[in-house]
Amino acid sequence: MSTMTQNRLFREYKTLSTSPPDGITAGPVSEDDMFHWEALIQGPEGTPYEGGIFAAELKFPKDYPLSPPTMKFVGGGVWHPNVYPNGTVCISILHPPGDDPNHYEHASERWSPIQSVEKILISVMSMLAEPNDESPANVEAAKMWRERRPEYERKVREEVRKGLGL
Amino acid sequence: MTDEEPSLNIPSLLTLAVVSFFVIRWFFKSNDGSSAPGGSRGRARGNVVDPAQVEQISQMFPQLSTREIMWDLQRNGGNAAATTERVLSGRGLDAPPPSFQPLVAIPPTGVPAQPAASPTPSKSSGQDLISRYNLSAKIAEASGVESESGSDAKPSSSGGWSQNKEERQRLLQKRRDEMILAARRKMEAKQQSAQ
Repeated sequence: MSTMTQNRLFREYKTLSTSPPDGITAGPVSEDDMFHWEALIQGPEGTPYEGGIFAAELKFPKDYPLSPPTMKFVGGGVWHPNVYPNGTVCISILHPPGDDPNHYEHASERWSPIQSVEKILISVMSMLAEPNDESPANVEAAKMWRERRPEYERKVREEVRKGLGL
Repeated sequence: MTDEEPSLNIPSLLTLAVVSFFVIRWFFKSNDGSSAPGGSRGRARGNVVDPAQVEQISQMFPQLSTREIMWDLQRNGGNAAATTERVLSGRGLDAPPPSFQPLVAIPPTGVPAQPAASPTPSKSSGQDLISRYNLSAKIAEASGVESESGSDAKPSSSGGWSQNKEERQRLLQKRRDEMILAARRKMEAKQQSAQ
């Protein structure tokens, strides 16, 4: 089981390296532990996240791809309605089909073994562009996004610059 | 005699089992405590002696030997007040057995004993990508060389793959660094033009 998981992760790593999607870099921190990856996601254009690079940590369960990995932004987190203050990403593709605490997600949006790391990262990229207001992980950020959009955008832009050490 | 045997055997076996269970448990518990490796683990159970307490007590009672103080502290779970109380009440401290090996919490550097747990979370939080990936040297290095005009923040999409494990790791790191540095250059240019 574990070998199958590792082979699958290795294949995904290879695909992501040979034909990386735009604005995404991902791979294991060290190949000695294929269950721990790090990914960089570029902020989508036309959003306050534009120009930013966001680092995230992916932790795969032993029964991947049956269960989804968890994803957590590192280095200060990301100010976003669907990202917990500690950096953990909360989107439907990271939720297993049986587990829908919010009863709003369609089964097709949720995790299944036919999904992949690449699809997760692309989903997270579009999540950055379009927050899902229905189930905020960061209530404060969601409120700001809804009610004080200019302040929200200013805060995100500032964090983007900070993330790049500027 | 013959009908006495079963009635004697079962309850006494049960009693023996219960008693030996407690004896063994007690034995292992106390044994575990005193043989805990002299590290941070034992301190939580109060079996490792804090040198600061030893110092404090030996300053109050210079007549006591360090070994006596450590022996008492170790047995009362590092309770300096109890040791002080005991000396003041005139009972004095027991002489430690010759086999007594004091478990000192830390090497005498004066650093407070703290299990190595706190530094780990700070690494990942509140840190920019430049320091996270040690890119400051590369920024300094590249500052002279101006990047290609309109530097598209698109990472070098020349896919990086090799049959060699180290080479693969290196290629991934290179793509990662380039992605961050390109984004930084672009942001810098944008900031400058805005000023």
